[in-house]
Amino acid sequence: MVLLQRPHILLLLIDTHQFLQCWIAFGSANEEGQQQEEFSEELLVKPLPDHKLLAHFHFQSSAPPSTSNGCHHHLFPKAISQLVQKFRVKEMELSFTQGRWNYESWGGFDPISSSNAKPPGVELWAVFDVPQHHIDASWKNLTHTLSGLFCASINFLESTATYSTPEWSFPPASGNVRYGTLPCEAVCTENLTPWLKLLPCRDKAAIALLLDRPSLYRGFYHSQRLHLTSTESSSEGIDSGIILEQTLTVVLQPNSERAIEVHASEKHVQPSWSLSSIFGKQVSGRCVLAKSSSVYLLLDRGLVAELKFPNKENGKSAANGLTSENFWSNPSFELSVNPDRIFLEESSSHSKSLSILYMFQVEKYSESEPFDIGLMWKVPVAWLCQQTPLHASRFFMGSGNERGAIAISLKSTQFTEGFMSANSKDGSCELRVDVFQVVPWYVKVYFHSLRVFVDQQPRAVSDFIEKIHVSPSKDKMSPGVMEVVLKLPCRVNTAALTIEFDKGFLRIDEYPPDANQGFDIPSAIISFPNFHASMVFLEDDSLNRSPLLSKFQEKCPVMSYTEVLLVPLTTPDFSMPYNVITIKCTVFALYFGSLLNVLQRRVAEEERFLKAKAAKKTGRLPLLLSKLSAKLRGRRREPLHSPPSSSSFINSKLVLKVILVAGLAVGWQYFFS
Amino acid sequence: METFINPKSLFHLLLLPCLLLYSSIAYNSSPVEAAMHTNNWAVLVCTSRFWFNYRHMANTLSLYRTVKRLGIPDERIILMLADDMACNTRNKYPAQVFNNENHRLNLYGDNVEVDYRGYEVTVENFLRVLTGRHETAVPRSKRLLSDEGSHILLYMTGHGGDEFLKFQDSEELQSHDLADAVKQMKEKHRFKELLIMVDTCQAATLFNQLQSPGVLAIGSSMKGENSYSHHLDSDVGVSVVDRFTYYTLAFFERLNIYDNASLSSLFSSYNPSLLMSTAYYRKDLYKRRLEEVPVTNFFGSVMETIHTDAAYKALSRRNSGRFEDEMSLDQSVHHIKRRMLIKVNDGDEIHDINPELLQGEEGASKCPWSTFRNKFQKAENVDSLLNYGLVAMIPLLVISTWLVQ
Repeated sequence: MVLLQRPHILLLLIDTHQFLQCWIAFGSANEEGQQQEEFSEELLVKPLPDHKLLAHFHFQSSAPPSTSNGCHHHLFPKAISQLVQKFRVKEMELSFTQGRWNYESWGGFDPISSSNAKPPGVELWAVFDVPQHHIDASWKNLTHTLSGLFCASINFLESTATYSTPEWSFPPASGNVRYGTLPCEAVCTENLTPWLKLLPCRDKAAIALLLDRPSLYRGFYHSQRLHLTSTESSSEGIDSGIILEQTLTVVLQPNSERAIEVHASEKHVQPSWSLSSIFGKQVSGRCVLAKSSSVYLLLDRGLVAELKFPNKENGKSAANGLTSENFWSNPSFELSVNPDRIFLEESSSHSKSLSILYMFQVEKYSESEPFDIGLMWKVPVAWLCQQTPLHASRFFMGSGNERGAIAISLKSTQFTEGFMSANSKDGSCELRVDVFQVVPWYVKVYFHSLRVFVDQQPRAVSDFIEKIHVSPSKDKMSPGVMEVVLKLPCRVNTAALTIEFDKGFLRIDEYPPDANQGFDIPSAIISFPNFHASMVFLEDDSLNRSPLLSKFQEKCPVMSYTEVLLVPLTTPDFSMPYNVITIKCTVFALYFGSLLNVLQRRVAEEERFLKAKAAKKTGRLPLLLSKLSAKLRGRRREPLHSPPSSSSFINSKLVLKVILVAGLAVGWQYFFS
Repeated sequence: METFINPKSLFHLLLLPCLLLYSSIAYNSSPVEAAMHTNNWAVLVCTSRFWFNYRHMANTLSLYRTVKRLGIPDERIILMLADDMACNTRNKYPAQVFNNENHRLNLYGDNVEVDYRGYEVTVENFLRVLTGRHETAVPRSKRLLSDEGSHILLYMTGHGGDEFLKFQDSEELQSHDLADAVKQMKEKHRFKELLIMVDTCQAATLFNQLQSPGVLAIGSSMKGENSYSHHLDSDVGVSVVDRFTYYTLAFFERLNIYDNASLSSLFSSYNPSLLMSTAYYRKDLYKRRLEEVPVTNFFGSVMETIHTDAAYKALSRRNSGRFEDEMSLDQSVHHIKRRMLIKVNDGDEIHDINPELLQGEEGASKCPWSTFRNKFQKAENVDSLLNYGLVAMIPLLVISTWLVQ
């Protein structure tokens, strides 16, 4: 009995020990306080100069590094945490974009445009925390997983010919980064739905409720982004905290019907809008799982300067007071809901005026009293958004199906001129521009033909290019990558890079079904590392800081993407191979058939055979038997078993063999019984 | 040539392959136990690219909506769409697809899950989905994870012709390919019953090569006939639905998840004058009577639970004699059979099988070979048996080549 009981006691001891451990772990997790999974949702609305409206949804979920609850999560999507753990992803960004960000009228210097303006189609980059030789395998598996998760053909990025390894020009510079784009990938509801399923409230409550598919996809620009960073807490990497940031940026045309009506009377009045008129829905109820859900209305620097708030001089005191009615009841516009708070931007170095942010808390509203803000313009306003230091565009040169050239042109913008003149006091001011360009292998770029034009004058490459890294393409293996750091004088008006290429040939099975449409060359990334887009708002309580605003405060370099180029390649007549094969086969069959016939035919032998056949029509059995006896006589005597029992023979050797075997079996049977 | 020691050993050697042959024949002839219908899958394929083929995508999405409505969950539907119509720049109604002029029903909804789209819809991927031969990295949502208890609905629409269906305007799926894939699926126990529904010109010709049991096929038109579109939506600018699919949907819209409409009522609902083609169905490979098969067996999902205690008893009683042989001969086959469940409810099927089974057993016991089989069973080691068999093949080979010379 003692023997029996002992293990029980032992088990009990182990159990209690484990329980205690768990308890302690749980307690410590609770003690830390801030180590909870969090989710917050925010929406930022911003009027754009060209009568459009920018809506920027920002959802952030974070999972703290935790050992207590293993791979279980309260709010954080399990699919993402599994993905991070399995592929050891340090940082990853996936974006689905439709349309092109209009840098000239929608701006390029604010945090929204520099981090949310994305190239059309799918863009994916990831930084892995695995040894160098495992990265490609991880990348491949990651693309497949993401393609399953987001209903897109991201798995086309698995082949080495489609992704590249940026060395240093790509912003999250690190050796372990992989970058790939699919410029012609369609973006639609099926991509948005799984993205929304990662949110704890999906699209059933609060801000996400606004995401009405038809009105979203009717927009001019639509970019859905997923950015995740995992913070390593231990060397093992199993328990890492993850921050998942999901943003959706749409540019919409507010109620077009009324805009047309107004158009006749007053041309320049901005269209009035409300959330329900843009999205066809209102924010009703709140997502109880969210830590905070708020809506912001941002009036950017240019607009604020134009509006001329009456007490602009003592703006800071007003922001502190928060009760000043001057900020939200302005002679030029009217808000339908009183904002809960008003933030004023801290003085920025790049601009004279400051932007204003109105905050509305959605938590206060309920299903019976849905939240809906509207903005009505009373006076026509016109302003300009802050632009990138240089406006980048890319185009093709040359004609024909054989060769051509790619040109990237940079033009100085109005903004830069003012800024540069203010900044270049010492005279020797330089503007650093990083260019990152990936070219698919079938566009064979000659890197030696790189030319630089500054202010329309051809100049020596070495004068302006500080650093260059080139990895030539290999046929069907890897794309060509070019990374260039340009140092341009501040007073430059235009600059251009040109590079020549030959068009390659594809194998017939490598052409896509719509080859005649042309082939896409992914966007080039132009970044300005010396310029940082950030907006710092004066906040009185830093504890309750919103993720969106803290994101705005981060200093991210100003970035812009160029257009996607469509290069027409020579496409064959796809039915031609079949014609060739058919004709060739016919010719071969006719030629070789007759040739073989002539070579093989033995006329004399055939005649003899026919005569022999006519002479004895006895059948095959005697023939076979004679053959058999001849064999037997010819060789040594062998213990051959009983001859096949004679029965009605069909003249076939196969039948003979079968019967032989059957006979053997019968013999065996009698032998044993 | 002195190696032939005595005739006895020679006989022994020669007999073993015969026995092996016999046992394998016995296996094939014994009817595979009908697994219980446990789950439903649907593979819906739109094979046409380009905007003017809008109706093919609308066809596929209509079927997608129907099977979802009748209870097949999204993870059991493989949806392949060769092009993006919903967010196509030519679509006046972004993120919406309609199959009717009245625009009452948005087929694209909020919760559509496309598994293969655009350039991914190729003959290769289609056959991979059917046969289940994927790269290891391919996620589960892109695989057809059916088993021997699955009823699969395979719906295809696009442009076709005599014994082929075009994929993406650049490659073709031939009737042989389809038949081979289905045969492979059958051998891999990937389905219990398969319903192939094709809406294309000369759809009937696509089924010519099928030979696997348990397959039922419906085509929209006979050889030499075209399948026509139903009507044109002047707002969208193209035809929005094909006739065959339109009338199929008209049939299903009347049903809900609990209806018992039979397959034969679906088949008889097609009116050639409305279809402008003759709907063809091939049922010679399908055992059950169409009047008794509800359409929800393919278009819906199984939900009722059936107790299997009785079924296990029936299985052990019938096959008690044979089970030992199976165990000694082939473990894997035995395992497969053990995993299967006999469907008791399906009365007539079992009645059909029973007499055959009994006959087979009697035949086996009467056969003089049984004595050998018993002896042969004493050879416990299966590997050595196999070696003997291989060795025994050599003299046969020698004799036959010697005779040929």
